[in-house]
Amino acid sequence: MTCCSSSAPFATPAPPLSFHPLRGRSAPSLTFPSTARAPRSVAARAALSDPFVLEIAEKFEDSLSSSPAAAASPLPLQKLRDSSSQSLLSRRWPSSKDEPFRFTNLSFLKSSVLLPVSSLTTPLDCPIDSPLPHLLSIVNGHVAPSLSRLAALPDDVYVGSVSALPPGPALDRVLAALSDGFADGDLFWDLNGVGAPDMAVVFVPAGVRIVDEPIHVRFCYSEGSEVESKQLAVSSPRVLVVVEKGAEVAIAEEHLGVGESEDRCYWANSVMEILIGEGGKVVHSYVQRQSMNAAHIKWTFARQETSSTYELAEVSTGGRLSRHNLNIQQLGPDTVTELAAFHVSQNNQMQDLHSKIILDHPRGYSRQLHKCIVSHSSGHAVFDGNVRVNRFAQQTDAGQLTRTLLLAPRATANVKPNLQIVANDVKCSHGAAISDLEEDQLFYFQARGIDLKTARDALVFSFGAEVISRIPFEPIKKSVTSQLKHLLTTQ
Amino acid sequence: MTLLTHSSASPSTSLAARSFLRAPPFRAHVAPSTIPSPFRPRLLRLRASPRVKATLTVDSPTTGGASSPNGPPIVLLEVKDLKAVIKESGQEILRGVNLIINEGEIHAIMGKNGSGKSTFSKVLVGHPDYEVTEGSVSFKGQNLLDMEPEERSHVGLFMSFQSPVEIPGVSNFDFLLMAFNARRRNKGLPPVEPLEFYSLVTPKVAALNMNPKFLDRNVNEGFSGGEKKRNEILQLAVLEAELAILDEIDSGLDVDALQDVAKAVNGLLTPNNSVLMITHYLRLLEYINPNYVHIMEDGIIIKTGDVSLAKQLEKEGYRGISVS
Ligand SMILES: Nc1ncnc2c1ncn2[C@@H]1O[C@H](COP(=O)(O)OP(=O)(O)OP(=O)(O)O)[C@@H](O)[C@H]1O
Ligand SMILES: [Mg+2]
Repeated sequence: MTCCSSSAPFATPAPPLSFHPLRGRSAPSLTFPSTARAPRSVAARAALSDPFVLEIAEKFEDSLSSSPAAAASPLPLQKLRDSSSQSLLSRRWPSSKDEPFRFTNLSFLKSSVLLPVSSLTTPLDCPIDSPLPHLLSIVNGHVAPSLSRLAALPDDVYVGSVSALPPGPALDRVLAALSDGFADGDLFWDLNGVGAPDMAVVFVPAGVRIVDEPIHVRFCYSEGSEVESKQLAVSSPRVLVVVEKGAEVAIAEEHLGVGESEDRCYWANSVMEILIGEGGKVVHSYVQRQSMNAAHIKWTFARQETSSTYELAEVSTGGRLSRHNLNIQQLGPDTVTELAAFHVSQNNQMQDLHSKIILDHPRGYSRQLHKCIVSHSSGHAVFDGNVRVNRFAQQTDAGQLTRTLLLAPRATANVKPNLQIVANDVKCSHGAAISDLEEDQLFYFQARGIDLKTARDALVFSFGAEVISRIPFEPIKKSVTSQLKHLLTTQ
Repeated sequence: MTLLTHSSASPSTSLAARSFLRAPPFRAHVAPSTIPSPFRPRLLRLRASPRVKATLTVDSPTTGGASSPNGPPIVLLEVKDLKAVIKESGQEILRGVNLIINEGEIHAIMGKNGSGKSTFSKVLVGHPDYEVTEGSVSFKGQNLLDMEPEERSHVGLFMSFQSPVEIPGVSNFDFLLMAFNARRRNKGLPPVEPLEFYSLVTPKVAALNMNPKFLDRNVNEGFSGGEKKRNEILQLAVLEAELAILDEIDSGLDVDALQDVAKAVNGLLTPNNSVLMITHYLRLLEYINPNYVHIMEDGIIIKTGDVSLAKQLEKEGYRGISVS
């Protein structure tokens, strides 16, 4: 099974038969055709692999090896797939017994027929309507140059597919970043690594600033199926952002179903990895407005070097199952991290944020605000926010606040804000509140002649406004505002 | 006086009595709680009159459009034997309040902490914490108790809250505009655009000596006590009202602020609209002169007089005011 081979497995199409043993059922006893495999990993696979997981991985590999681009897979992608398939071997499909998925039911995925998005299919009906001047479109996981608009970027900045990245410092940096690995990853992180058909790279060299006009990174999903079909087309978009010393970049990330997929079902399993060099800064907005029938699982993994800043404002309203895994690691002292998230769970929706901020160096500053509305009895919100202040992270200033509005009788929220503090000279605070709208606030509106429904809508909307106001890009803020107004008033 | 108290329902009688006395009619009643309820309102009126008679001899009010020279005073608000409980606990707070406010009159209610003044004003505007168990309230001849809070606002009732709530995420400007347009929609008028509204609201902000930045701030969020009160009056200035109930609009105000607020309130007065102030201090009444001062105790109005009652209170405290 190419899944654990350390050579370049995707460059050579694997013999189709070789996959069958690994489809799980009787794997251990069967022989492997490839000589590249060491007996030890066979044993490991036999002991640990989860047939369902392997089956998905195999489907990915099948689809990637049959695609015309496979033969020419660039080195970084090969590296990514190698390490991901290696680590995938020890992954099981999570159950509710696994703490990170205690409240997040994945049966929607498990009970569907998962099909990797076939190949590079760029839909023509995906219009370029970005209000922002720099646009990078990623369609079903593939960078789509014809739907992107990057000409106005400074010359030494690279934004595009890794396959077009010429040898040089940017490529070296990308390769170095990939070899660092990610110890906190999970099954979905690895599945993305195995299934990513492409990798988008945003490389901002030292001292360059792209601040006023953000790069709009738009993830489009066009291969949805009818809800009744029980099929989920799986996309694995992958983005690596490297911001060198003293450089700055603003990124407006957006995920949406396009064309017929606006309301179809599919599974987007994306990863964005961000490396911020010394004194660098990334201002990041993330808007998830997927089809209400889609599954959306996303990893954001940011590493911050000395004196760097990372700001994230996230608004997540789409998807039937939406999970954001956010992991921030500090590589040096004096970092600034500001995270804000606003989630809306309506009918039959799950919105989940699992975040981890790990502070290992002195004088870090971090703030996290999580807000969530569950507006329907069948809606569900999950927040697990971990802030770990380790031994050497003295004089850390960390704050965390989560607020949930439950607007319907049996609406559910599971929130677990938690600070783990090992260092002794730190300033940390956290708080959590779950409530309905305040009676007194509603009455204040009414007393001024505003009817209850309008008052409720205004209060519900204003609840999220605190987060939306942190999106630093006016056109994005505007479109999110009007989308939310629509969403929150037409129920 | 018996005639007079009955007159609340019969303006012509009232007029006669009024011109004769050249003093405001007194319609606040002491409610002996022992009277069985079905008969109480009428009996009360009959009984209460002689008691308040004593206070009738005091100076006539210095200000106010209490009497309309060309016709009978028009009753704006009539509260009869109003009883209300806290919904949650069933505890009775208002134990039979009677009050009549005519167009153009200024009334003040004073009374110890916890006597039920705020509860009374909140019940009038329909606060959901309370339930009216008995009595009636009519406003401009309509049954107020049947109306939703927003309808009460639309018919011309305004209450400034003793402790206005903060509304994070909603700007003061948006809130005012929402309220203003709700009022317009109710009148069948098209909404005004933000720009037009802005030019409408800024002079009112200036008149209250408020920094225009307050329009951009979230409603009451982080406002100082005095700023909240000014903001309440700004809402009154924008929405206008036939009856403005001002619950302790003077507490927490510095001298300048009190003057600004009083000036604004006086500026809003017309011969047709009325004010009901709740206050603990004579100071406010020196800026906005009331026709009547009522004392509330334990959920009923135990005494009614004019501003001299407030002066007496200032001198002697509540010990000096006794019904019996
Ligand atoms: N929603 C409520 N829940 C519980 N108790 C209440 C509520 N509203 C009023 N009360 C009680 O009813 C009584 C009257 O309160 P109210 O606020 O009307 O007094 P007040 O006369 O306005 O006092 P102050 O001069 O201090 O403002 C008090 O004992 C108060 O605690
Ligand atoms: Mg009060």
